[in-house]
Amino acid sequence: MKLKKYLSLTRAGIIESLQFRLATVIMVIGNLLYLIVVYFLWKSIYASAETDVVNGMTFTDTLIYLVLATALFNFMEMYTVWEMGRNIQSGKIVLDLLKPMEYRRYLFWSYSGSFVTQFFFTFLPTFIVVSVVTHGAVPLGINLLFFAVSVVLAVLINYSIDFIVGTICLYTESIWGINIMKQVIVLLLSGATVPIAFFPEPLKTVVYYLPFQSIYNAPLTLLLNGSPTPETVFEILGTQLLWCIGMTLLGKLFWKLSLRQITVNGG
Amino acid sequence: MPPIITIQNVTKEFKVLNRREGLKGSLKDLFSRDYKIVRAVDNISMNIEQGEIVGYLGPNGAGKSTTIKMMTGVLEPTSGEILVGGNVPYKNRTKNAQEIGVVFGQRSQLWWALPLIESFKLLKDIYQIADRDYENMLEMYRSLADIEPLLHKPVRQMSLGQRTLSDILAAFLHNPKIVFLDEPTIGLDVSMKSKIRELIHALNKEKNTTVILTTHDMGDVDALCRRIVIIDKGKMLYDNDIEHLKGFFGSYRTLKIRVDGILSERAEEVKAQLPDFSVSADEEWISVLVDEERAAVMEVLNQLQSSFDIRDMQLEEISTEDVIKKIYEEGVE
Repeated sequence: MKLKKYLSLTRAGIIESLQFRLATVIMVIGNLLYLIVVYFLWKSIYASAETDVVNGMTFTDTLIYLVLATALFNFMEMYTVWEMGRNIQSGKIVLDLLKPMEYRRYLFWSYSGSFVTQFFFTFLPTFIVVSVVTHGAVPLGINLLFFAVSVVLAVLINYSIDFIVGTICLYTESIWGINIMKQVIVLLLSGATVPIAFFPEPLKTVVYYLPFQSIYNAPLTLLLNGSPTPETVFEILGTQLLWCIGMTLLGKLFWKLSLRQITVNGG
Repeated sequence: MPPIITIQNVTKEFKVLNRREGLKGSLKDLFSRDYKIVRAVDNISMNIEQGEIVGYLGPNGAGKSTTIKMMTGVLEPTSGEILVGGNVPYKNRTKNAQEIGVVFGQRSQLWWALPLIESFKLLKDIYQIADRDYENMLEMYRSLADIEPLLHKPVRQMSLGQRTLSDILAAFLHNPKIVFLDEPTIGLDVSMKSKIRELIHALNKEKNTTVILTTHDMGDVDALCRRIVIIDKGKMLYDNDIEHLKGFFGSYRTLKIRVDGILSERAEEVKAQLPDFSVSADEEWISVLVDEERAAVMEVLNQLQSSFDIRDMQLEEISTEDVIKKIYEEGVE
């Protein structure tokens, strides 16, 4: 009974996202264009490098990594910051606050429907195409299971970061700049635009101590590594779990304090 | 039975930054700690019983929405106590949410892209409404309004009237003890307005739901409320039966006449004839504010007709704004 109200939001989200067929088509086209740019960019990078392996990755490795990162991005990006910012500006947030459900959860589950559709419409087809085209360069084994667990944790971390940034909108009442800044930071530091293997050494160290690499780098590393040692798996998933708990608590606390600020001082 | 809502000496203050003018001022504002305190709601007390429909009136910016937000738990009062159905709203917002329904005339809580029935199903699960209660409620809705064509229509394709109607039904769906309606008839045409009023009336009757209604439309108040509360500038001006209010102010009506010639000059002549009443003129009409305790409107009209060639006439009841203005200027004895 308790779970039902959340799953009901998921169901509505699925129906809702299926209403906008054209948007899905356009998104797929947009991604293809992006991938074409990525292909030629890295092709020229590898051409000028004069070796086949750069930073431990071949051209195929890099491309597979980036294609899957893009697919993962489409599936994980929830535009929470936009939604929160818009609701705060328009005052609709009052109606959401008056649902008998914690706002953080309400928002998450409202979006969960689009996870499901995006997973089936963008991530899965991309994954299958990549697997077929590269003739088995993507290992299919126990790593898929690790990947699944890792993605769930990544989604939660990503949502928590979005939620924290969205909460900042309560104070700034502007969305655009904050959202762009967040997106650039997350995409760069998480290894979604450039594989972390290409980062200079000092930056690499810094990045490993930040939560962002747990969003894209972690699941992709697990996915592309056919025979990971138990230590690697444990380390990656453990780091993710810690960040997941940490960011969730931080988000909850920040929201609670901010909400108190609103109820005292008006929105 | 204790009142469903008790409000005791509630005050709400906001801290507002004193803004300065111009570019230089705006730059200074970035570092300014120069706040002023704005008192949006000032020492309000009232009790509302289960099943009442209360009209909550006041001009724009009077503090109506702030009071409603405090009752729903979105705002915390600066001082004073509020109890809604036994809960302190801002402390138990989630619990309170289960007991109340809200409609803001300007915004919709429905899922934009989904057919209405899907929104209902969602609300059913969110508010954890039992299957039987839900079916009964829908059955009742069917008997009250023609909702069948609406149920399968996406909300974004609805007209404003249909959307408002749907929003009201959605607010009552979990059978809350209290429903807050914030300007539900704003922007609707006459027939839709009366439909909405009938619906609210019927829902209140069927389920004995307490309804708090804010509006600028005196028609809403006349059709629905027995009791009205008026506030202005955060202060409570009036809290009593509507008949009582009409006793004070219902005796005033505005008689408007149209005559040939330059209206401002003719208005002077009218004024000479009717020294007791206030007379004014605009581009089209000469208006006479008639106090019916002193003279019937018909008498005044007859008197005017004997000396003027009246082309057209209109009779206007005094409006909510006029009543509030009068109360504010003269007070209620």
